[in-house]
Amino acid sequence: MTELMRYLRGAYRIAWKDVVGDLRRRATLSSMIFFAVSVLVVFQMAFEPTRQEALRLLPGLLWITVLFTSLVGLGRVFQAEEEDGALEGLLLSPMPRGVLFLGKWWGNLLLTLLVELCLVPLMLVLFNVDAWMRLHLVFGVLLLGTLGLTALGVLLAAMTQTARSRETLLALLLLPLVAPLLVAGVQATGAVLGSHGPDATPWVRLLLVFDGVYLVMAPWAFGWLVEE
Amino acid sequence: MALLKLRGVVHRFGRQVVLRGVDLTVESGSCVALFGGNGTGKSTLLSVLSTRLRPRSGRYQLSGFDALSDGESARGKLIFVGHHTHLYGHLNPIENLRFFLDLRGVSRSEDRLHEALEAVGLARFAQRPAGGFSAGMRKRLALARTILAPPALLLLDEPHSALDRQGAEWLNGMLGAYIEQGGAVVMASHDVARLAPLTYRVAWLYGGKLWENPPDGTQKVEATTA
Repeated sequence: MTELMRYLRGAYRIAWKDVVGDLRRRATLSSMIFFAVSVLVVFQMAFEPTRQEALRLLPGLLWITVLFTSLVGLGRVFQAEEEDGALEGLLLSPMPRGVLFLGKWWGNLLLTLLVELCLVPLMLVLFNVDAWMRLHLVFGVLLLGTLGLTALGVLLAAMTQTARSRETLLALLLLPLVAPLLVAGVQATGAVLGSHGPDATPWVRLLLVFDGVYLVMAPWAFGWLVEE
Repeated sequence: MALLKLRGVVHRFGRQVVLRGVDLTVESGSCVALFGGNGTGKSTLLSVLSTRLRPRSGRYQLSGFDALSDGESARGKLIFVGHHTHLYGHLNPIENLRFFLDLRGVSRSEDRLHEALEAVGLARFAQRPAGGFSAGMRKRLALARTILAPPALLLLDEPHSALDRQGAEWLNGMLGAYIEQGGAVVMASHDVARLAPLTYRVAWLYGGKLWENPPDGTQKVEATTA
């Protein structure tokens, strides 16, 4: 087995463990979906926007829902590692710290993407927005934004996991740091839906830059963070 | 050549100096039992040996690697079973073992995993989530890892705790065979009586220093000397 294959297999196994654990415990994924659906239903019932208003509000609403839903998941990303010194077990493995981060990130990314897969079609139906032909573009933008959001989120979750009010602290740290990425995500989504200007390219480029920065910085910082 | 060489290791927590220049040499195919009262630094020393704790100063070589600068390579040579067994409660024993092996880059067949479970007496629990296991069963499962991927160095913190008499006998048998095959063990223990069947070198931690028997002092400590 080459070194790279060994690393990828290790990261895959960590992600598999997190996703399987979550599906068996019915914990994080169900909470995330429940939260996302609640936000959409309440918003729809409170404002009853027209189709035109909905098209204008949809990008912002989508990203706010994604952000807060991912906070629900990120708060529990190291939950499995709390039992029986499992985090120490991970750190005692002969894997580079970056690979451990990669595994944790993949697990959280997959759960968040699963929620988004349910969220977007539900949104279009609830708000009666006819954007089915541009659905793949919306998912493309969402994927780009989610890569950076979850990478930064998993790093901050590792940083705050031993804090007493970790979920509050996680939100306090994540929200300002992720704000530029959210703005780019909202603008790019608006552009592909045709509600926020004609061109998504500059915003997509900005998303790519943020993804690059977060994905390079987070594995390195994770290694530094978990060393005693 | 010694498998493990620790030289002048110093570690402190805040102002409290726990290790004050510890030297330790361990050869392959040998066992060192660390004794000492509570708070003398046995677990700290094991944490340093496992590479989880970086000492303030000193040198540590394991299997030819500088374990302080190349922890990743050193960790590939050791297994540490401490007070925690590092198991995931939502995974069954087979899945837990597979997870451990994948992180070490070791491949074993399903049959081999079942054989290891058989060896530790957990074969009939292979499909049950480890979360429902007793402390003794968890320890057995943690030790099954050493059967599947025998390390050069096995670090154990209170290995006999949580094991019943039968379990302790099984553990001593397993450790005896492992040492005979060239493995090295460093363990912290209070339980001299349960170590009796093993041949080991004694090292006492006292005042932050390690006090060893003479170099030729590999000896059997009788339970009555505790």
